[in-house]
Amino acid sequence: MADDVGEFYVRYYVGHKGKFGHEFLEFEFRPDGKLRYANNSNYKNDTMIRKEVFLTHAALRECRRIIADSEIMKEDDNNWPEPDRVGQQELEIVMGNEHISFTTSKIGSLLDVQSSKDPEGLRIFYYLVQDLKCFVFSLISLHFKIKPIG
Amino acid sequence: MAGADVEVVDFEPEDEDLLDEDVQMEDADAPAPPPKLKSTITAGRAAAATAGGGSEMMNIAGGGPKKTKGRGFRDEAAVEHASRFASKEFETLGAGGGGPGPQRSVEGWIILITGVHEEASEDDLHELFAEFGEIKNLHLNLDRRTGFVKGYALIEYESKKEAQTAIDKLNGAELLTQKISVDWAFSSGPLRRRGARRRSPRGGHRSRSPVRRRY
Repeated sequence: MADDVGEFYVRYYVGHKGKFGHEFLEFEFRPDGKLRYANNSNYKNDTMIRKEVFLTHAALRECRRIIADSEIMKEDDNNWPEPDRVGQQELEIVMGNEHISFTTSKIGSLLDVQSSKDPEGLRIFYYLVQDLKCFVFSLISLHFKIKPIG
Repeated sequence: MAGADVEVVDFEPEDEDLLDEDVQMEDADAPAPPPKLKSTITAGRAAAATAGGGSEMMNIAGGGPKKTKGRGFRDEAAVEHASRFASKEFETLGAGGGGPGPQRSVEGWIILITGVHEEASEDDLHELFAEFGEIKNLHLNLDRRTGFVKGYALIEYESKKEAQTAIDKLNGAELLTQKISVDWAFSSGPLRRRGARRRSPRGGHRSRSPVRRRY
């Protein structure tokens, strides 16, 4: 089971360019276990936060499990809202012999999901992103004792 | 599907590239030069995007051609990733150095519990894990859709010994009829690839493409 952790990569980005410059949150899980986290908010002169730490196989495997359970790899971003001025989200995952790189706009709430052309697919994306963020925030905040925002 | 096939053909030159890089990487593992942290993933994306779309990540994991899907592959903005993750230093704790072992966090040692029953409570975990030392922190995250426990928990102990004992004693234990796994959350260095990467049986370097640094 640990063997397939190698064929695994995840990157998530959400951001926009506006009054406060380019504000974004991005993290990635790399095949060697490195978890990278970057958060740039210029609001009130906040500065860029960049953290990285290596995870164990166990932690990487849990991330993989969350993604596999979501069945996001079966989805397609064809009918999702295009990224716009309000913002952009990107989710890139390599798992086994599949590689997805989805983009869409920011999703404010489930209402946006419901009114989209692909509510089922977008809902999976919507919840998966939250679950991944939750996992990453816990890891980063426990390890570095900071409060990640996003 | 048909479209994906066409793309795969496009990516083949990159494939060769990557095989080289794999070899390169293993060599570079130990006394890596003082790294200018550059995300190969993102930098590679940029390079690949200019080279006609696509990202190298499909190759990073080795193995055969990948099925690709999504607008991200056609997105010009992909080039931007490079600048976001590249060149700036990321903060880390500790020297990293040595072989992978548990990594200490700022205030203690973090363990990861997986296989946690969806109806488990913080109290359940506390009861089980407090036996080995004072629990400084406990995260029991919920599934955003269902509201039930997502399936993992993170616990912080002050000392390595407490954490190690918890791992030794509770890995494989049962919690609410479900078997849990307990392990360290953080590693002091990159993971060894347990045979996940199949090196080309033909061996040797097949192309002389420019080397991209990974770290």
